[in-house]
Amino acid sequence: MTEFFQYILNGISQGCIYILLASGLTLIFGIMNVPNFAQGHLYMVGAYFGFYMVMSLAMNYWLALILSTIALGFIGLLLFRFVFYPMRDTPEVNLFVAAMALLMILEGAALYFFGTETKWFVVPFSRKVLTFGDLSLPVQRVIVILGTLVVMTFLHLFIKKTSIGATLEATAQQREGAMLCGIKVARVSALAFMIGTGLAGIAGVLIGPAVLLEPTMGMGPLLVAFSAVVFGGMGSIPGAILGAFILGLVESLASGYISATYSLTFVFGIMIIMLLFRPKGLLGKETWRP
Amino acid sequence: METLKNLFYSKTTAWLLALMLAVAVPPLAGGYLVSILILICIWSIMCFSINIIYGYTGQLSLGQAAFFGIGAYAFGILTVKLHMGFWPAFLAAVVITGLIGFLIGIPALKLRGPYFILVTLGFSVIIGVVLVAWVDLTGGANGLAGIPRPNPVPLPWGGQLSFDSLLSMYYFVLFFLLIIMVFTHRLISSLLGKTLVAISYNETLTESLGINTMSRKILSFTISAVLAAIAGVFYGSYNVVISPEIAYFARGMDVVAYLIVGGAGTMAGPILGTLVLMAVPELLQVVPSLKTLINGIILMLFLVFLPSGITGGIDTLWAKIFRSRIRQYGPARG
Repeated sequence: MTEFFQYILNGISQGCIYILLASGLTLIFGIMNVPNFAQGHLYMVGAYFGFYMVMSLAMNYWLALILSTIALGFIGLLLFRFVFYPMRDTPEVNLFVAAMALLMILEGAALYFFGTETKWFVVPFSRKVLTFGDLSLPVQRVIVILGTLVVMTFLHLFIKKTSIGATLEATAQQREGAMLCGIKVARVSALAFMIGTGLAGIAGVLIGPAVLLEPTMGMGPLLVAFSAVVFGGMGSIPGAILGAFILGLVESLASGYISATYSLTFVFGIMIIMLLFRPKGLLGKETWRP
Repeated sequence: METLKNLFYSKTTAWLLALMLAVAVPPLAGGYLVSILILICIWSIMCFSINIIYGYTGQLSLGQAAFFGIGAYAFGILTVKLHMGFWPAFLAAVVITGLIGFLIGIPALKLRGPYFILVTLGFSVIIGVVLVAWVDLTGGANGLAGIPRPNPVPLPWGGQLSFDSLLSMYYFVLFFLLIIMVFTHRLISSLLGKTLVAISYNETLTESLGINTMSRKILSFTISAVLAAIAGVFYGSYNVVISPEIAYFARGMDVVAYLIVGGAGTMAGPILGTLVLMAVPELLQVVPSLKTLINGIILMLFLVFLPSGITGGIDTLWAKIFRSRIRQYGPARG
């Protein structure tokens, strides 16, 4: 039974990372209709930013977390301005391919600057392990869970309680309607993009000290987060959170009880079954229109 | 005189010239160049595979690398472990892959847009995992070695065509590339091909004309799986060794990049794209770690500034110079 609870605990902490990535994905998709396939690689870039600032510039971890988030948000702004905004009227598949090109650029850049060898992102407190009875969890994983809670609470308050957040929600619900109300949709889209990529940056620096860094580290989490978004319903933030949470648990239990090699297969299997029987996802409102 | 001039500047002339170069130059070139030319032919076949399902039918599939891998592995297992001859194994590998493509296509093609892309990607990831994990059958991460070259073909007037040398392998692959190009051309000129192009423009509208779009899409997907399998078999046969990396979906993404840079939904696009994105870095001896970066940047520039690819650019330029009518297939891009 201890084993089971340990897997659940691991699943929750991994699920938190998926929550951050998936809510960024779904925010960008809901407002810009961009399936941002590069989200996982933005997360990788965030982790490397954190790594560089803490290890090479000897910066404080928390400062690095904030700076990396800002940097990723800025990258998001650039991407919006020079890639996705000019491409806004092209077919959705082209947007997907553009995100794929971005993925290749980020992976290539990381390969070029940091090489293929894995990096250790060492933070003084990250190697300690907390034990609760028979269960154990590294401190960094606790930080991941707490950080996700804080970030998601702020995101929720921002969207629900501020007027800028309301414009985000309005644009996601009805783009033309929002325009008619005088909302500057382009500006709102840029903001959504920045928040989405910024969330990837936070996720990267949060998970960095708990894993090994390598240029392809974003691919696995991206695939799970994307599946989570589809599973929960594209464009819905509660759906993304629920989906990420469930898939995090599925991945952890599958790798614990069956095989770590096949864990991604289970995640994808569940997503494919969901798509075939309920394409709009758990909490999605409508299916994708051609 | 006018007709002669038109003939000189026509696309047919350009194709004939390219064909003459492709046949005549390699014997004069060194072994290194020939080996690159073989790879260009193989990846062009792969591009034609994606061209059928994406360029003409408008459904972007990232699962083509998986079909490439299935074809190569089916062929490798049949020849190395079951000691089948080249030709029966080739046929069997292609049929197996086509069948798998058909079976995957039935559920996957019910979905559209990003959902379809995601399912094909998931399929690709799963196949990659299976190839690594099923060690008894596939040899795991070490891969499969000792895949044979094509058996000699007896000629009717005595003697035989053997494929031992690099140059003969090149002509072998080139021959199949030409067959596939003729096949694609015939397909796109047929009613079925026109239906596929119609689906890429507007699937709902096509359906409203009483066309069963689902069956056409499944057929298109199966054909593309078969073409990918052919490329996989040739790759295995040429490379002698295959490893699970060939089915890794990043390969599928690279080929999508080749196709889009060359021009999706055109006949010349697959070849031009492969030439520019694969052969040029290879000849310039670009560091492997830079290749992904360069491919990504080139793809991004084309998407933003010239979504119709190199062929689209040439067509526009041609139209500006000669004010002729542009004939374009495939989805409107950009």
